Amino acid sequence: MSTSIEQSRHAMKPTPWVLFWRSFLPYQLYRFVLINLRMFVMIWKSH
Amino acid sequence: MAKVVVLGAGVSGHTAALVLRRKLGKEHEVVVVSPNRRWNWIPSNIWVGVGLMDKKDVTFELAPVYERAGVDFRQAKALELHPEGTADSATPRVTIEYTSEARRGEREEVPYDYLVNATGPKLNFAATPGLGPDGNSLSVCTFDHAEKTADALRAAIERMKAGEQLTFVVGMGHGSCTCEGAAFEYVFNLEFEIRNAGVRDNARIVFLTNEAELGDFGVDGLQIKRGGYVVPSSTFAESLFVERGVEWIVGAHVSRVDENEVHYETLDGEVHSLRFDFAMLLPPFTGVGLRATDRAGQDITSTLFAPNAFMRVDADYTQKPYEQYKPEDWPKTYQSPLYRNVFAVGIAFAPPHALSKPRKTKNGTVIAPAPPRTGMPSGIMGRTVALSIADMIRRGADKPTHSAPMGEMGAACVASAGVGFRRGSAVSMTMYPVVPDYERYPGVGRDLRHTVGEIGSAGHWIKRILHTMFLYKAKAKPGWWMIPE
Repeated sequence: MSTSIEQSRHAMKPTPWVLFWRSFLPYQLYRFVLINLRMFVMIWKSH
Repeated sequence: MAKVVVLGAGVSGHTAALVLRRKLGKEHEVVVVSPNRRWNWIPSNIWVGVGLMDKKDVTFELAPVYERAGVDFRQAKALELHPEGTADSATPRVTIEYTSEARRGEREEVPYDYLVNATGPKLNFAATPGLGPDGNSLSVCTFDHAEKTADALRAAIERMKAGEQLTFVVGMGHGSCTCEGAAFEYVFNLEFEIRNAGVRDNARIVFLTNEAELGDFGVDGLQIKRGGYVVPSSTFAESLFVERGVEWIVGAHVSRVDENEVHYETLDGEVHSLRFDFAMLLPPFTGVGLRATDRAGQDITSTLFAPNAFMRVDADYTQKPYEQYKPEDWPKTYQSPLYRNVFAVGIAFAPPHALSKPRKTKNGTVIAPAPPRTGMPSGIMGRTVALSIADMIRRGADKPTHSAPMGEMGAACVASAGVGFRRGSAVSMTMYPVVPDYERYPGVGRDLRHTVGEIGSAGHWIKRILHTMFLYKAKAKPGWWMIPE
């Protein structure tokens, strides 16, 4: 299931710490609020 | 009394029709002409395509919704516009042909005072021999296509469970395709479901795209501020592909799809082929092929429409080098320059130019991702045109009163990368403006405060909520108008 070695070698890879935060519930709840706020700003700017 | 005819009931046409109905009094008529009797929330078709949803989850019958809203719905396809009327009458009209069971094939002339062309795209599978569900590849462009794709995926998973090693190819079926984001979502949902089925080690997954770089999305990519640097979206996109073990081939024009083999040319002019067991390749789009005639019956299709059959609006279509394109070239009001009562929104309007740099191989093959005009921008255009028409009818305004130029419009996009409250994730992106403006934002083209992206569970929650929210809005349920596009 690996990408070609050449492609993998040049790409940025997430550390376990980054992967942990992506699904850590309290942090994701905080991001949920923040992303929604950002989207509302975008909607407000675009209408 | 005025009569507004909306051609098409996708995101932009449906939005336009509902807003018009809400803004205009009952003395005015709103007519929707659409060949499909069901409305489809297309962004969720990717979940149908991996078997997590079915048709009833992403569609609903239009007729009851329009009946409740007071919109006259004709299940028919538009064939020909007569913006100056005909020899018998100067009233503009459109020729439609019914597609409903009861009236299939029957033609009718529908007069109008205002016309909104929201016909969306023709899925041009014919551009690539062998492409599409009638050929040798799959699609998620419609719910029927997506259901067929899910069946093929289920069968492929069973083969892998029996020990077979399979190759999956997902991406774009032609060098001029748009909607790369949809293929991006599909490949990660496919990978996620194969992993869930416990057969990931038996799958080779390849993303085949016309983008010159991953993360281009037909909008020339994004620049995002992260860790003290301004980083191109290609860096983050490549990272996700490596993390999920998905190979990628960029800058590719698919020239032919044989049974179990795709042939493509890359930007370096080299010609390749790749054997596959499962291929989901999106088609390029053209306009639906409406014809137009003047009052004398002379064909004026080529003046009203661009060569790709999309309708010309108030954009600057002057051909010039890519570097000289400006955000101001893009339309503001979506009004036809020829007929003040004709508008085109969503995919139906002709974009003045590409956002991603068009490239040519040494063999002369053009590989040029077309600019996306779907989702949020599409809905905003529908609303904008509806508000302008309502003002022209109610207040007698002689020109459109609302504008929504894509050079001043932002977009929010959530790209699913797997489903589940805890394990699911999605890439949440906002960008401002959609059309890069390198004079206002030197070097990056967009406002770095509002152009952001991240991946996580929160994105998946938002994606799931948007699915429910937009279906609610599209069904015109109480308070629908408070939900923004």
